[in-house]
This record gives sequence, structure tokens and C-alpha cells, in this order.
Amino acid sequence: MRSFSDYLRSVDDAALLELFSKRPDLVIPVPPDVASLAVRACSPPSLARAIDSLNHWQFQVLEAAAALNEPFSTKSVAALTDKSSASTLNYLISIGLIYPSNDGMRLPSQLRDVLGIEPAGLGPASMVKLKLVELDDAPVDAKRALERLIWGPPRGSVGDIKNPGPGVAWLLERKFLVPLDQRTVILPREVALHCRGGKIHKENFINAPQLTGAVRDEKQINLASIANISTVLRWVEELLNFWAQEPADALRAGGLGVRDLKIIANHLGVDESCTAFITELAYLTSLISIDSDDRIMPSNKFDIWLMQTPAERWRVLASAWLITSRASGLVGRAEAKNVAALGPELDRVNAARVRSLTLSILKENPGAAPDSASFNSLLAWRAPVRRNSSMQEELASWSLREAEWLGITGQGALSKYGLTFLDGGDTTLINDDLPKTVDHILIQSDNTAIAPGPLEHEVSQQLAIMADIESRGGATVYRFSEATIRRALDHGKTGDEIKAFLIRTSKTPMPQPLEYLIADVAKKHGKLRVGNTACFLRCEDTALIAQIMNDKKVEILALRRIAPEVIISNHEAVDVMRVLREAGYLPAAESANGLILTGTRSSRAQTKPRPPRIVGEIEIPNIDMLNTAIRAIRTGEKSSHKQAHLRQVANEALGALPRTTANETMDLVNKYILEEKSLSIGYADNNGAVTHRIIDPIRVSAGALIARDHATGEVQSFRIPRITGVAAL
Amino acid sequence: MTDGPLIVQSDKTLLLDIDHPLSTECRRAIAPFAELERSPEHIHTYRLTPLGLWNARAAGHDAEQVIDTLIKYSRYAVPHSILIDVAETMSRYGRLRLEADPVHGLILVTTDTAVLEEVIRARKIVPLLGARIDAQTIAVLPSQRGQIKQSLLRLGWPAEDFAGYVDGQAHAIDLVQSDWKIRPYQELAAEGFWHGGSGVVVLPCGAGKTIVGAAAMAHAKATTLILVTNTIAARQWREELLKRTTLNEDEIGEYSGAKKEIRPVTIATYQVMTKKKNGVYAHLDLFDSYDWGLIIYDEVHLLPAPIFRFTADIQSRRRLGLTATLVREDGMEGEVFSLIGPKRFDVPWKEIESQGYIAPAECIEVRVNLTENERLMYATAEPENRYRTCATTRTKRDVVEALVEKHKGEQILVIGQYIDQLDELSEALGVPLIKGDTPIKEREVLFNKFRTGEVTCLVVSKVANFSIDLPDATIAIQVSGAFGSRQEEAQRLGRILRPKSDGRSAKFYSVISRDTIDQDFAQNRQRFLAEQGYSYKIIDADDVFQGKI
Repeated sequence: MRSFSDYLRSVDDAALLELFSKRPDLVIPVPPDVASLAVRACSPPSLARAIDSLNHWQFQVLEAAAALNEPFSTKSVAALTDKSSASTLNYLISIGLIYPSNDGMRLPSQLRDVLGIEPAGLGPASMVKLKLVELDDAPVDAKRALERLIWGPPRGSVGDIKNPGPGVAWLLERKFLVPLDQRTVILPREVALHCRGGKIHKENFINAPQLTGAVRDEKQINLASIANISTVLRWVEELLNFWAQEPADALRAGGLGVRDLKIIANHLGVDESCTAFITELAYLTSLISIDSDDRIMPSNKFDIWLMQTPAERWRVLASAWLITSRASGLVGRAEAKNVAALGPELDRVNAARVRSLTLSILKENPGAAPDSASFNSLLAWRAPVRRNSSMQEELASWSLREAEWLGITGQGALSKYGLTFLDGGDTTLINDDLPKTVDHILIQSDNTAIAPGPLEHEVSQQLAIMADIESRGGATVYRFSEATIRRALDHGKTGDEIKAFLIRTSKTPMPQPLEYLIADVAKKHGKLRVGNTACFLRCEDTALIAQIMNDKKVEILALRRIAPEVIISNHEAVDVMRVLREAGYLPAAESANGLILTGTRSSRAQTKPRPPRIVGEIEIPNIDMLNTAIRAIRTGEKSSHKQAHLRQVANEALGALPRTTANETMDLVNKYILEEKSLSIGYADNNGAVTHRIIDPIRVSAGALIARDHATGEVQSFRIPRITGVAAL
Repeated sequence: MTDGPLIVQSDKTLLLDIDHPLSTECRRAIAPFAELERSPEHIHTYRLTPLGLWNARAAGHDAEQVIDTLIKYSRYAVPHSILIDVAETMSRYGRLRLEADPVHGLILVTTDTAVLEEVIRARKIVPLLGARIDAQTIAVLPSQRGQIKQSLLRLGWPAEDFAGYVDGQAHAIDLVQSDWKIRPYQELAAEGFWHGGSGVVVLPCGAGKTIVGAAAMAHAKATTLILVTNTIAARQWREELLKRTTLNEDEIGEYSGAKKEIRPVTIATYQVMTKKKNGVYAHLDLFDSYDWGLIIYDEVHLLPAPIFRFTADIQSRRRLGLTATLVREDGMEGEVFSLIGPKRFDVPWKEIESQGYIAPAECIEVRVNLTENERLMYATAEPENRYRTCATTRTKRDVVEALVEKHKGEQILVIGQYIDQLDELSEALGVPLIKGDTPIKEREVLFNKFRTGEVTCLVVSKVANFSIDLPDATIAIQVSGAFGSRQEEAQRLGRILRPKSDGRSAKFYSVISRDTIDQDFAQNRQRFLAEQGYSYKIIDADDVFQGKI
């Protein structure tokens, strides 16, 4: 029999390469030698991660293996499951969940802990030999009791173990049930397997369930997809333009308030979940930044983004979405009221994995727009045992929805753009396929203007100032009103400029009512003036005002007379008072209500954008990195062998306590648990004093070695970090 | 990307490029399911609404046809969400059906038990239901047929009504087309209605809605109750019916404040129907006094709320609604759909104009400058009096005088809201005034004189907004109105849309005070007509005085 690390030492580079590409966490960071690699591969988190990657059938085979006593054979697994399990076993070996020892197959030491103590609802093996044939003639009561426990969980409670019903008594008598405590009995593994007909599962889910749903025409998919792409680009741009004009305030707890979300949803004309998705996209890509004073506004990156071609812009959005651990679908759900867009509570550790699984299912089924029932059952087959599995279906449905919004899919099926993007190909074809921009509008006499296609950026920016958008989509409908014309005038346009622009841009003649509207508003605009000034001087005596205006001594104040009785100055009131007093006047201070400058600004954040971190998945390293990792481990292995040998020699010479490195300790302990050998260990107490103990190791659990101490004869737990060294006796 | 005439927007509006060669074909294809929202010169806007889609279902179109049509004519890819929405909305119609059952009377049947379970638990529905018959069927109180349809529509599960109609008492009615001919669109409208059972026909003012009503009566050949807005309208219906059908004077009764005749064809006013005596509606029995085979609602957009309630109780009788605009400023379009019926016929105003059935009209907004004094008065007026102040300025009178002078010899109506303003105008112009307290007799005399040309100019208050028939009015001058009411504007324009014998175009003047809320209201009022393709020309009052127009 050999240990898992011995097995790892024996495999060739190709096998290691396969292992690493399937379990990238084993090489990030690169372990120093094989022993450390084995320890990491057998650690519960890594095992759990590997188990999570199994599909339903692979998991069933693993459960069957765990239900067998070690060592076991391919045949015995096949007997419990199906003939086809042989190839699946090979797969499980390739990812290090099972390893071949010299006497048969074995499981890495902690795998059983990760799988749980009752794999496939099976209890422990019986301690005695059972006469299973007797079961066939069991009384009806006993059979009924058995039926409840056969498919797990194997524990059942009885009123009182000393006074059970006749069926249970019959079973207990023949050891077909074993008492656990006063009220609980457990069904031994052999009995359950016998009753299950020698198979471990009710049904073997060998093949993936079929995906059903609409099959779409490729042309329609791509048309719909390109429409989605142009829409999402428009959404993001409009959102950021909106926030540039009116930055939103972040909540104190972080994120965007419900009210602000609604305002934007209204502005964009989409529902709130879609709005949350768009704001998150902007956040992920650093297009917005949350300022130090909690204002949310576009960052400088937005300007750079705008300069890029549509394909590049889209790629920025889609790439960030692909890997993010944030799930914008959580926003606004009834059961999670306080989850805010851009807030701190959106990270879900399996979000990116479910998303990539969802997309790979779409990729494997070109042209299919799966219905949700069949999609969910396939998903459940592909990833059956998720930690957090309750979220899986939701995450997948959000991924599908978001892929559609992004245009990775069209009409629910993966488009050629999505496919090219996922394969890392060149997405510039998007630029060619997007609807051609138009440079003109059609103005109508009901004061609307219609852009019969996506407008050129320049024109749409101008129009957005002069008119409100009434309808969006392939075309845009603008409406002119007094308020919108006034807004354009506020932006510094003159009535004639607006008119000239519209005449130039419109393919249809300018209707008279609109011309009048512009002229009317322009005429009235600016009659009333509002401005900022630092202070004012006011005097009912206009002669004195005139005198001050002409006084050379106060010229420094750059006074301006805005009315017969009022002068203003851009200097602070205190300074003006001082200068006036020096010039011989007798001014008195007067309090005033400040006038506030209103007007629109296009603001940018002052701080550097901090995009949200990514939680969870480890990216699969490329082949070069893996090869480098293998070389590094091989080298480390050689040097640690040498060192171990040196220490061994030194130890023997000194007759001292065994000394091993932490990784060696774990490796050796795991090995000796399997071999059931007694060990000599050095163990440090609370004060750091190292004592020598002789122990029989039992198992490793939660960072401690459970072992029987020869000195006391009791089972005791030894904390692994305190074990200074291990040697076999 | 195809080069279709239609752009499907993500907010469910459809933009139709009417300069596109396929536009006519496309218009025909989308008309059954999309509501025409506005039709200005270049791009018409249609909207996909649940009501519209259900109308289409009722007319036998399915979701696939609708989706195919959208995709076929669309210039850009149709947003996927819209396709889903169309399919989903349309599938909601017809899952519930109201049927007549020989044993249980009126029953609600479903093909989808879950839907039935959902609706029969709704608080508003429970009191309308009878005994559960089986998993798919439940009895409905026959008296609640209208109520339940209304409530189901609100729940988003409109029921298809297969319970049929009572034939009513038969009465021979035929059209007499000796010196006139029914127009093709009128025939289509009447047939559309008859085929659908009940519903609303939307036609521009002056396009001959009365004849559609008469044609519907000729289809029904049964006793008919006609509800109209006022007595004048009632008299005009009566005259039209006498002229266009085989009915004689004894067969037509008038049920109004003045007369209470009940005949095989009875014309009643909304006013008398909604009159309360000691807190109860006194004339409600009229609905039951005859076994009516058809009930016609004239100007359905004005239908008062109590009439809706009565209508809910008479769902087994055929109902025809007539109107020029389905725009209700009170937003009760859903009630019209569920109680009177879906829209059965609609056609853009400009299309009828191009066929020559309504006169082309020119809309002109005349802007007057207020004098300094008037501006000051306007600026200092109480907010609630501001509109009145600017709408009734003295300056307007001069303009009206100039306009009347300019169109001397043509038939002119001066229409306004405020009686004192109208009194002044009537005096200044030296022409008769018709207002609310003018006795019916005198009104009829004046209208007759106007018809014969004895009088060429009339000043009328809002009493004449509806249903007065002035065949030869060619000029309307509007001096004030009910604030920003769009349908009032449409109705007033309708006064001059009857085709003129010499093919002259009508002129519709609105006199507006510049730089006041009069102007803002005018903009809102003009929206409906602008959306129908009427473009307003704006001129200055000085141009009128100098005779430049």
C-alpha cells in the first residue's frame, strides 16, 4: 500500500498537467514539492472544490467508491453502479479524488470527511457477519421499518431502545439494525445495499438530460443579438450621461438607493432589475466612481470608453461581466430588501462559476433557446452538489437574462458575437454588423423629431440637449417643448443656432409651430439675469453711488454698477469694507441671502476608480504556467529529499526527537493512519516545551490529529501545528 | 437588417415611415392589432397595447401572425422582449370564456384551470359568481355579465364573451338610398361592428357617424335605443333617420327633458338618463321598457359614469359606440372596452380627407399681442383667473372682427367658452348668440336660418360643441376653450369638416394671446389634431389687420 503522495510521485508529467488544469488551485501558488502538493490536494477546501466540479454521474460513482471498503476494485464499483463507471473512475483518478495503490483503489485520506459520514445515505459497515438472506423473510413490520431507512438517512428514532416495536425488535435481534443511543438506531451499510438490490442509487444518472426549448434561426439570433448589443451600449452611455448631469448620492451603507434606481429606470425606460444590471456594468468597468463625498459619477474612463469603437466598448462591458463575482439579480428582490445596486452585498462566491457553466451549456447547444425547466435539470446534472446550491438556479436564470441584455445571446440562443467573444476571438465584426448610423432626423409638425436609426454621436448629443427622448429603440423619438428649448438656451445655444442646427439636420422642412416655439422661448430667455457675486454695495443716495464708481482709490475693487442703487464687487465683503473705509467712506455690513448658481455641469470624479474585487473562482492557468509549476515542484522535490535525508542522518546521530516539516508531517501522518502504525512524535505544549509521545494515529480532523496516546491509553487530539516531527516506530 | 417601413421600439411603439413604398401594405397589416396613436406628416406612431392585442385576438388573429408581421416589416431586429410580451399578452385572451348554458344560465369556462382558480379568488370577482359546476366551469350571475367582464379585464384575464345577444323585438328598418349612397368606409364600419357583436366605431367628425348608426340598425332590424348628448343632437338623429331609412315619424320617439316618448326607435339624452329624483335615477326603466335589439351610444368619449353602470347590466344587448376620438381625458378607455366593446373600426382622418369625404381644413393660430395694460392685468391676476383673463382680452375682439370681415359671405361660427366674452362679441359683430339658456325653439330657428344662409355668422358657446349639424359652415373662429382639452379642439374642428359643395377647404382659426398660458393650453389642445396630421400655421394678429393672409 502506498500513500497519495507516493502515488503523486509516481505519475508522469502528462498526468500532473491534467490534474493541474482541472484543479488549478493546486498550483496557485506553486507548491514547493510533491509532499506539499499532496497535502494541499487532500485538504478539505481543495477536495470540496474538486467535488463541486463533478457532474451528477461522476458524483454517483464517487459515492459508490466511498461506500466501499478500501482498497476496492473497478469491478466492485461497477457492481454497485453501472458498467460504464470504469471510464468515470479514470476521470476521478485524473483529478485526484481516487488513486490507485499497489493493492487496489484508495481514496485520499480526508475525502470521506468532505463527502460526509453517510455517503449516498448509507450507514457504517456492520461489525459482525450478517445473514442477509434472512431479510427476504422478514415480517411485515420489520420490512416497513426497513423501508424508511433504506434510501437514507440511515438513522431512525424509536421511542425507547429497550422496548421497540416487534418489527424493530426483530431487526435489532439479528443485528440488521444497530442501536446508537437510547432513541436512535442505524441501518448498517450491508443491509441497505442488500435492500437496494446491490446497487447504491435508485437510478444512475449516466447521461445528461436533454435540453428542450425553441430552436432559433441563426440569422434571427444574430439580428436580435446585434440589437441587444446596440441597446446595452446605449443604456450605459445614457446612464453615464445622466449621472454626469446629476450625480447620484450613494447610501451611507454603500450602494444606490431605491429611489435613484427608480429614477434611472424611468429615464432609461427599462425595469429595475435591468437598471441594476446596467449600473453594475458601469461599476465593474470603472466607468463610474464613487467619490469621497459619496457621489456617484462617471470617471475619466468613461471619456476613454466613448472614444473606442462599439466592438471595443462592448468587449469592455462583456469581459467585466463574465468574471465578476457580483450578482446584480439580487437587487430589489422582495426577500432581500436592502440589497442595493453598487452596494457591498452583491458578491456571491459561485456567481462566476454558474455564469460560465450557463454559457458553456449554451455553447454546447448552438441555436437552442432552452426552456427553463430543461435548462435547470441539465444544470442540476452538471453541477449537482453545490455548496450554496439554493442560489444556483437563480444565478443561472440571471446569467441567461443578463447574457440576453448584453447581446451575448439573441432570442435566448448564443449568437455568433457571443461565441466569438467567449472563444476570445476578434469581435470587430460587431462594428460592421451594427445598424448604420444616420446623420439626419425627421421633424414633424406635432413637435416631434424622429431619428430613423442610431444617430451619430455628435448629433445625438446635441439633440439630447434640445429635446426630450420620448421613445427609444432602433429609432429615437424626440419631443420639443418650451422646457427643452430653454434647456438648450441654458447650454449657451442661441435660438438661431438651434434653428440652424435643426434645419441642417432635418431631412424634412422645419414646421412653423416649432420655429415659433424656438423664437418665442429665445425671446423670453435671459430677460431675467442671475449671477454670482462676492458682495454688493447698496445705497439709496445715487449720488454717493456715482461718487464711489468714479473714485480712483477704490478702483482696485473692480466695481460694477448693475442698477442705479446697486454696485457689486467680486471681492470679499470684509476686503471691500476695508478699502472703502480707507478711502474715507462709512460702509455698514449687511447680511444677504445668497444666490445660487444653477445650471448643468458634466462632472467627473476626483478619485481613482476602485472597481469591486472578484471573489471566488480561480482562473485556469495556461499550459506554460502549468509546465513551469511542474518543473518547480520536481526541483523542490529533489532538494527536500536531500534535506530530509540530512535531517534523518542528523537525528539518528543525535538520537533526538523526530523533526519533519509541516507538510512532511501531514503527509506522514496520513500515510501512517492508513498503515495503522504507531508513531513517535514530538509535541509542543502551551509553553513551547517539546515532549516525546508514542501514539496510534486514528484520523485527522479539523487541523488536529486524533490519536491514542500510549502513555495514558486515552484518545487525545494533537494540534498539527504543534507536532514538531513524526517518525514511524 | 432589412429595409422595412416599420421600426419597433422597445417601449412598444411602432414607427411607420409613410414615405416608404411598403407603408400602405404595412399599415393594413398592423392595423388589426396596433392602436394608431398619432399620424403626423412623415412617421406615424402606433402602439402595442393589451387592449389592441386582445382586439386582434377577438378578430381571429393569433400571436404568431402578429409576430410574423412585426418581423416582416421591421427595419431593425424586433426586441425579443416585445415578441415574448405579444405572445404572452395574446395568450391571456380567451382562456376564460363566458358562455350561455342551457342548465346553468351564464357560465365562465376555462381551458386553464389555474387561471380560473386565480380569478375566482379575486376579491372583486367573488360576489359575481354562482355555484362551481366542475373544475373548468363556474356559474356567473346573469345580471353581472358586464361587471365580471370589467373586473376580469382589470385582472388582466379578459373573458371572451360567447354568451350571445338577445335579438330584441324585431322591427323592420332598411336604408333608403335613393338620393345618396352609403360610403364604403361607413359600410365597412357597420359590418365590422355587426360581425364583432358589440363595439366602438371611431370616425372623424363630419364623416357621417349617424349613417353608420343607421346602417347598424338596418343590420339589426330590431328596436333600437339611441343615447345622445343633448336634445339638439336628438332632433338631428331623428331627421337623419327619417331621411336615410324606412322609418317614419311615428316610429321614432324622443326621450328628453321636454318629451317622454317611447317608440320602437327611441332617442334619449344622457342628461335625462342621469337625472336623479330623490336620490335615484328616475329614468332607468327606459332600458327595460322595450326588448331593445340594439343600443347606440353617440359620442362615447363623453359617456357619463352612471351610464357605464347601467351598461354593465345590459350586456346581453348589442351595443354600438360612436365617437371621433377615443381619447378620454378621464382615462376610462378600459371601461369602454369591457362594457361597450372593443374598437371595431378606425381610420386616420387624413385618409378620409384624401378620399374626399371630409373637407380639407387649414388650421391657423392667430397670435395677438396684449396691450401693456392687459399684460399687467394678466400678470397680477389670481392663478385661477389667469386663463380667463388672457383668453378674453379686448384685443381678441378686434382680430375676430377683422377675420369675420375678411370672410364675409362665408358661413362663420365664432366659438368660445366665456359667456360675457361671447355677449360682447355678439354685440360687436351684430350677430346672434346661442348659449346654454337659449330656448331650444330659438336655437332651432337660428340653426335653420344659418343653414339656409339667411344668417351667415353665429356666435356659439360650448353648447354647440357636439352634434350640431351645420352643413355649410366653412370658417370657425375659436376665441377661448375649456383649458387644454384636446377632444374639444377636435370636436370644434369637426364642425367645419363636412365636405363643401364647391370643394373649398375649411379654415379653423384659433385666436391666442401671445406669451400667456393661453398659448400653452393651445399647444396642448392642438396635440390631438397635430397627431392626426393637421399642421397649424401661426400668424400674427398684425398680418390679419394688414390683410396679409
